[in-house]
Amino acid sequence: MSFFIKKISRRTIVQALIAMPALQLFRKLPDSDRPHADPDEIVEVNGWILKRSDLA
Amino acid sequence: MIFDSYEAYGASDFTPRVCILGSGPAGTTIARKLGAAGIPVVVLEAGSREFSDESQDFYRGTTVGDHYFDLDITRLRFMGGSSNHWAGWCRVLDSQDFEPKAWAPDTGWPISRADIEPYLSEVHDILELPDFRPDVPISDDIRWVQLIKSPAVSFGEKFADELDKSKTIAVVLNTYATELAGDGKRVTGARLWSNGQDAGTFSADYFIVCTGGLENSRLLLWSNQRSNGGVVPNAAALGRYWMEHPTFEGGNAILADYSEFEVDAVNEAFFSPTLAAMERLQIMNFGIRLIETPYAGVKSLIADLACTAPDAAEWVAYQLSQNLRCAAQLYVAWEQAPLASNRIELSKTDVDHAGVPRIELHWKKSPLERRTILEGLKLFGTTLIEKDLGRVRIMDWLANGQDYPTDEELAGHHHMGGTRMGTDVTKSVVDANCKVHGMDNLYVGGSSVFCTSGECNPTTTITALACRLGDHLSKIITV
Repeated sequence: MSFFIKKISRRTIVQALIAMPALQLFRKLPDSDRPHADPDEIVEVNGWILKRSDLA
Repeated sequence: MIFDSYEAYGASDFTPRVCILGSGPAGTTIARKLGAAGIPVVVLEAGSREFSDESQDFYRGTTVGDHYFDLDITRLRFMGGSSNHWAGWCRVLDSQDFEPKAWAPDTGWPISRADIEPYLSEVHDILELPDFRPDVPISDDIRWVQLIKSPAVSFGEKFADELDKSKTIAVVLNTYATELAGDGKRVTGARLWSNGQDAGTFSADYFIVCTGGLENSRLLLWSNQRSNGGVVPNAAALGRYWMEHPTFEGGNAILADYSEFEVDAVNEAFFSPTLAAMERLQIMNFGIRLIETPYAGVKSLIADLACTAPDAAEWVAYQLSQNLRCAAQLYVAWEQAPLASNRIELSKTDVDHAGVPRIELHWKKSPLERRTILEGLKLFGTTLIEKDLGRVRIMDWLANGQDYPTDEELAGHHHMGGTRMGTDVTKSVVDANCKVHGMDNLYVGGSSVFCTSGECNPTTTITALACRLGDHLSKIITV
């Protein structure tokens, strides 16, 4: 077992894994599964009118 | 000549050819044009020289539908009319405002902007304006437009001395025309109310109704009811297609670069869409009023942006350190789609002291308008990105489809429509010369003749149309 795992309890790891998908929801990033999307594309996020590259 | 009562006027031997009801921007301008042409004209003003609660009470009414101002505070009933409380913001309707829009029913005027342009030099003198500058395109979609902050001429104050000295114009104060009588071809007289009582009838060859964008419809509706259709023979559109300029704070902007436009002396700039953008998005006209925000407001906006778009926030922070151009509030005012259902009716239960039914205003904003402001702010935001000028954030209530705020300005106190201009007698009340359809001697002045409202404040266009009507009548009325 690695040093990292030794320092963190199994319970903490499980909680972190459960929380990860939820963090994506909070950011509301549009089409985050499109890695080759146009960086100048206009997107609307949380009321902001932005270009995709602003979201990096 | 100015008479403080109808009784005082009655003692004079003045014999007018034309009777104008109302002494606001339209009534005063038309009277001055006719008077200058040597045509004797009387102006009947319901109020006195000063504001009074007693006079304002005649303007009370109710509104059905969307929240609106009390009808006795959104206009003024004394010499000079509502020019006594306007802000002085001036701009003429755009050429595109006169054109029919295929995507918005019942739009389009029977005249074009070219028909009022010959009168704009007079308007500039009357309203004490500098020359307009041409609009500046910021992109293919957005124009930086000029809205002149004028001295807000009060017509009652500015022209009182001239009117008092005039030999061809008689202004009669405290004299309320409660109704017109007509036979379906001509107005035969006006019923007057003065000093708290009926004051008999008044006759003239021509009558011009200039009592304001709410009151014109009320007077004509009541007159028509009393004369069995003898005043407005084609009354299908009478009181209908009423419009305002709703106004709300719709968003914020972070601005890094002002190279494409300038703010005025109070740090404001104004933007409107191009006709191509309106057509592509199928929206109405709108005006974005950009107001620079004090620096304290910038921090929270950047913090909000940092949560959503860290790179953009970093870019903004860099720009701020380069030059302290900051953030802005974005107020949006827009052109309402002309709807017959937005209308002025006569109350069935409430009358004023002279027995005239009060106004019941039916007014609702439409889904097309909601889409107009949302798409409009997106359009503005896209333009700022494309030109690398900044970023826009749309207010939550607008972005999330919530109700309109109830704690803001609501609208511009601009009362338009009700006796709109047109060729179709089922959808308009006056013709291209502001003459009531079917009547030989009845005309209407003021913003009630507007077919559509555009996005700009109406007084400049009202004054231009009044110059045009005065010019028209001075050619057809023989002295």
